[in-house]
Formats: sequence, structure tokens, C-alpha cells
Amino acid sequence: MTSAKYHPSDEVLSDFAQGKLSTGMSVALSAHIELCQSCRQRSSELESREIVSWLQADRAQPLASPDFSGMLDLITSQPQLTIETKKTPHSEEEPLVSELHMLDHSITLPRVLAKAASRGLVWHKLAGGINQAQVQIDNETQCEFLYMTPGSQVPVHRHQGSEVTLVLDGGFEDEFGHYGPSDFLVRDKRDQHQPSTEEGCLCFAVLDSPLTFTSGLARLFNPINNYRFRRATSQRF
Amino acid sequence: MDPFNILSPQRERPRVVAVAEKTPLETELETAERKLSEEPTDEELLLAVGESQDRQAFNTLFQRFSKKIFAMGMKLTRNEQLAHDLVQEALMTVWTKAPLYDLDRGAAQSWIFTLTRNRCFDMLRKKKRQPQTISSDDIWPQEGDADMSFVHEEQGSQAVEIAQIERFYTELPVAQQAVIEQIYIYDRTHEEAAAELEIPLGTLKSRLRLGVAKLRVLIGVEQ
Repeated sequence: MTSAKYHPSDEVLSDFAQGKLSTGMSVALSAHIELCQSCRQRSSELESREIVSWLQADRAQPLASPDFSGMLDLITSQPQLTIETKKTPHSEEEPLVSELHMLDHSITLPRVLAKAASRGLVWHKLAGGINQAQVQIDNETQCEFLYMTPGSQVPVHRHQGSEVTLVLDGGFEDEFGHYGPSDFLVRDKRDQHQPSTEEGCLCFAVLDSPLTFTSGLARLFNPINNYRFRRATSQRF
Repeated sequence: MDPFNILSPQRERPRVVAVAEKTPLETELETAERKLSEEPTDEELLLAVGESQDRQAFNTLFQRFSKKIFAMGMKLTRNEQLAHDLVQEALMTVWTKAPLYDLDRGAAQSWIFTLTRNRCFDMLRKKKRQPQTISSDDIWPQEGDADMSFVHEEQGSQAVEIAQIERFYTELPVAQQAVIEQIYIYDRTHEEAAAELEIPLGTLKSRLRLGVAKLRVLIGVEQ
């Protein structure tokens, strides 16, 4: 497996370990960590650090302690899991889609993405040879698989919030570099970029707000793009 | 210590440190103090809860962790009611899942931390009415899940680790060395190894469990 050149920062890994990030961002990180050994190690180091400061927290700053009495009896009256439950940790009623079939090969998805795609992917064609399949993960981000066909180019765009891209297969380049499998990129609103690909590229992307296209005809996409985002993030009752 | 009397982890007092590495001095001191005062460690308490539904042990864990869990809840949710709910949900999970805890899963404090973080994550998802496609267990898969794809890759750094492990391995009791050799070096199944060593399967499993836990401790302390 090719090792990644672009990684999440320590700050992001630490927020991830604490459970502070949105579900969408957490999924992207979990997938990168499955693919990248160095981030796997780094994130467990940072998690250890968090655990240590958690253990010291209530000594440094004693909180007004609420009354937890009454919980004990309730809890200890519950049945415990048995060892038999342990042997079948999770029921396998729905088989995971763990492979995506490309034109001439197929790739294995990281587990968390396989789970995210388990209800099936519906691909839509966007401008410039881009295909998009959204997945419903939370209502704070827009999560999607993106497939850029070989030779395609995304219109120049700017982000209102931040966009995380995890390369799963193939690669693409922009003004800042070339990105290959397992690379984890963060773009925020200062970055205006125009990704393109020679070889074709499959990515998983998480946006925490809609894209703004900044050039030419692509501006026509803006209202649509906002609409899509609102639809993706609206609550479903 | 009698190396063959390892069926009772409570008596063995495994020296499990708070977290695998970079243990700050304070945590080490705390562990040392507990040992001196003969207070049971978190691991001993958790094993007692899992193996014999020991309510007294659970009570002690409750006293040690409820405020910490409340603090984590306040930090993540900024809502007193949710933080209060988290204390109940997390400690309920500690109680119900305690039989699944063993020393292979690492320090009790890490186990309780990850379980609390995961409960909190799922509580917030539910409160925000998010789709239930992904849960915390998908995002932070447990170590030891057999089908984790990354367990078998990356030989290079494993070679380094094996060299390190070999040094510590010789510090284990002979009975535990023999079991680890059968499983990890000759790659035998538990049943085959038990037959080879002429010991009951249960004995083999507990020696393996304790041996691996000790190795982890030795390696963690060394770093």
C-alpha cells in the first residue's frame, strides 16, 4: 500500500480522539487512519495524552458535584452481557459493500466508508467529468464520494467553510501539489483551487458548508450547489 | 510468585499502567500509591465486576469515575442534563460490558474513556436526529476485531517491534513464555497449543491473556 504524503494535523487528530468532531469529519479521519499507519500511531499517542489529562481533570478543577445517588442501584439491577454475546460481537445481518468497481479494477473501501456506502451509491454527473454520490452521515456536513474521470477538471472554486478530501484511488493535482491514495487534505476558505486529474481519481469528501465556484459558467452552479447542500443537511423527521 | 497460580488475576495484581506510553510522573505515582496502600487497581475492580458481578467493586469504580465522566460530558455537550445522562449511560455500559473486559484490552482507564467518548458521541447524534447509518463503533473500531483490515499489513515496522518484544519476552514466567511461543511463534491454534503443552484450554487462555498483558506493560514502561 502506498503511504500517504498528506496527513491530518495533530490538532485535528486530537479533536478526533476526544469525539469533538462532526460525524462526517470523524468518518473521513477514521478512514484515513485505517489506511495510514503513521497516523494510526500518532492518533493513539494523542488519545493516550487525552486520557491522562482526563484523569487529572477533576483534581485540577473540582466541579460542583451533582447527585448521582440512586444511579447505582438502577445500574447494578441490569443484567450483564454474557460471554456468549462476546462471541458474536456484532450481528452480520447486512453484508457490507466493501468493494467499489472501477472501469478496469476494483478497490476495497476502508470499513467505515463501506458502512457509509452500505445503502448503495447513486451517482450523479456534475460539470467537467465529475461524478458525485452523496451519502447521508449527519446533518452538519455534506459527505460524498467523488469520481473524476481521467482528464477531467473541477471548475475553480472557493470554500465557505472547510473541505476535507481523502483520496481512495488514482490521484489529482492542484496549484499546491499532487495527491495520491490515502492522502488527507484540508482546504479552507482562504484556498481557491482548481483540481484536475490525468489518471482519474476516486475520493471521499466532507464539506462543512457549500462550495462557491468563482469562474465563468460554473457560477451557474452556485444556486444549485447551495440548494443541494441545504437538502443534504436538512433534518429528516 | 508461583507462575502456575495465574488463574486468579485479582491476586496476581497485574501492573497495568494508565496508558500505554508517555505516562506522566503523576499517574505513575498514583499507581504506586495505590499499590502501597493495597487499594485495588481499576483493572482488578473491573475484572471483579465482570467475573462475579461484584457490586462493591462497581461502587468503588463509580466513585472513582462518575465525576470524571460528568466533566467529559460537560466539555463535549455543554449541557448539564446531557452530562448527567452520560454518567448514567456510560457507567451502565461499564456494568453491562464488564464481562467483555480483559487485560488484553489494555488499561481500565482507557477502556472506560473510549466507552464514555463513544456513548457521548452516539447520545449527541441521537439528540441531533442524525441518520443512524454510522455509529461510534464504526468510527473507532475496537482493537481485536478479527476482520480489521490493517492488522496484517506493514511488515517493516513489525520487525522492529518483534525485536523489542523478544527482549521482554524472556522476563515472563516460563509457563507464559511457553504459551506465547506456541501461539505467536509456531502459529498454533489455542486447542493445538493446549494439547502440545498438555494443559487444559482454560489454563492456556488465561496464561496467554496474562502473558500478553504483561508484555504490554513491560513495553509501555520501557518507552
